[in-house]
Amino acid sequence: MVTLRLLPADIDLVGHEGEAILTTIVRDGFKYRIGCRRGGCGICKADILSGEVSYPTTVADSILTPAERDAGVALTCRAVPSTDVVVRFSEESKLRLVVPLAFGIAVAELTGKTRARTQNPDRERERHAG
Amino acid sequence: MPVNRLGFVHIRVTDMPEAVNHYTNTLGQKVVAEVDGKVYLKSWDEWDHHSVVLEEGGVGLVKLGYKVSSDDDLGEYEDRARVFGCTVERVSKGDNLAIGDGVSIILPSGQRVDLYHDVEYGGMQTGTLNPDAWPRDAVGAAVHHLDHALIAAEDPAMVERFFGEVLDFRVSERVVTDPADPDLIGTWMFCGQKSHDIAVIKGPDNKIHHFAYWLEDWNEILRAGDILGMDDVPIDVGPTRHGVSRGKTIYFFDPSGNRNEVFTGGYMTGPDFPTITWTADQLGKAIFSITRELNERFTSVFT
Repeated sequence: MVTLRLLPADIDLVGHEGEAILTTIVRDGFKYRIGCRRGGCGICKADILSGEVSYPTTVADSILTPAERDAGVALTCRAVPSTDVVVRFSEESKLRLVVPLAFGIAVAELTGKTRARTQNPDRERERHAG
Repeated sequence: MPVNRLGFVHIRVTDMPEAVNHYTNTLGQKVVAEVDGKVYLKSWDEWDHHSVVLEEGGVGLVKLGYKVSSDDDLGEYEDRARVFGCTVERVSKGDNLAIGDGVSIILPSGQRVDLYHDVEYGGMQTGTLNPDAWPRDAVGAAVHHLDHALIAAEDPAMVERFFGEVLDFRVSERVVTDPADPDLIGTWMFCGQKSHDIAVIKGPDNKIHHFAYWLEDWNEILRAGDILGMDDVPIDVGPTRHGVSRGKTIYFFDPSGNRNEVFTGGYMTGPDFPTITWTADQLGKAIFSITRELNERFTSVFT
């Protein structure tokens, strides 16, 4: 699991193993400007300010150019964080919460993770073992 | 003679195995050939060799193929396209697998359209002697046949003129800014008796908006929706109904982000069909007559 910090709204979410940035955000009740969700249109791009992402699925250079990759631009429907990441969305992305219930679950997951990591290492070990 | 129909769509895909899985297991086409890295697909109710060509590397349209009614027509269309000012080249038999001599035309909006008459016969899956209603082994959405394509153009009026003047297509429906001083936003054109065989909307040159497969009826559209859900295919819009054409539809994206449609219904046209006009203030109703709303994606995603 990794933490995704979304800017400028300053929202923290927990990304699951192998999950693209878009999947995490939508699962946690948010919407933003997206297109095909298949890496073909480039509409869901955002800037990675820190951390690393990888692309398990092939992405066309015409959609995400090597120069963009070098500059930290990510195609959020395909980019899978391999570390904690800070992602900055543009104003045009219109990131907003549409399902507060799902975000509530996301927050519980996040605080659970934080507590497990910082306050209860035994429980964290149990969870992994179980 | 009028152009016969949209014969094939040739598109780029980023990942061939994923694309083949989508077009076969989800949509129900069958692979009929794999040559030089390209995969050729056919639907169960089609009789020509193939209707979709997948080529790995990138995303978007390589070309559309329209089947014409005779070899003589090829020469006529070639001459007219040159007079119109298009770049035109001859295509030799075999340049397009299983397809005979033809003519390749670059549209004013940049897309490539190949015209041909001769193509290898593949045969419908149910045969032509005492056929069953449908093939028992059809999988997924079991699309019947390729139906139409919608392309983008910065100047739709110029592309409408091309299809009208060069290929004798007629206009079934148009969307204009203002009937008094019309600037064309979209046009739906037919060559036979369908509601449309090609459509053009305002957008970036050299891009495709979608290509569509035919299904039998609304029930099959809903069933296709169920299949798309089971296979976790991203939906753009639907199931719903169009204002333009009155067809029933679902739009969705293939694994590379190319937009597909499953489509049925609508009216019959013919040479005397009176063109229907929509105004831009009713664009939402023109495209989706139930919700009367366009999502941002529908008008911004082209590949």
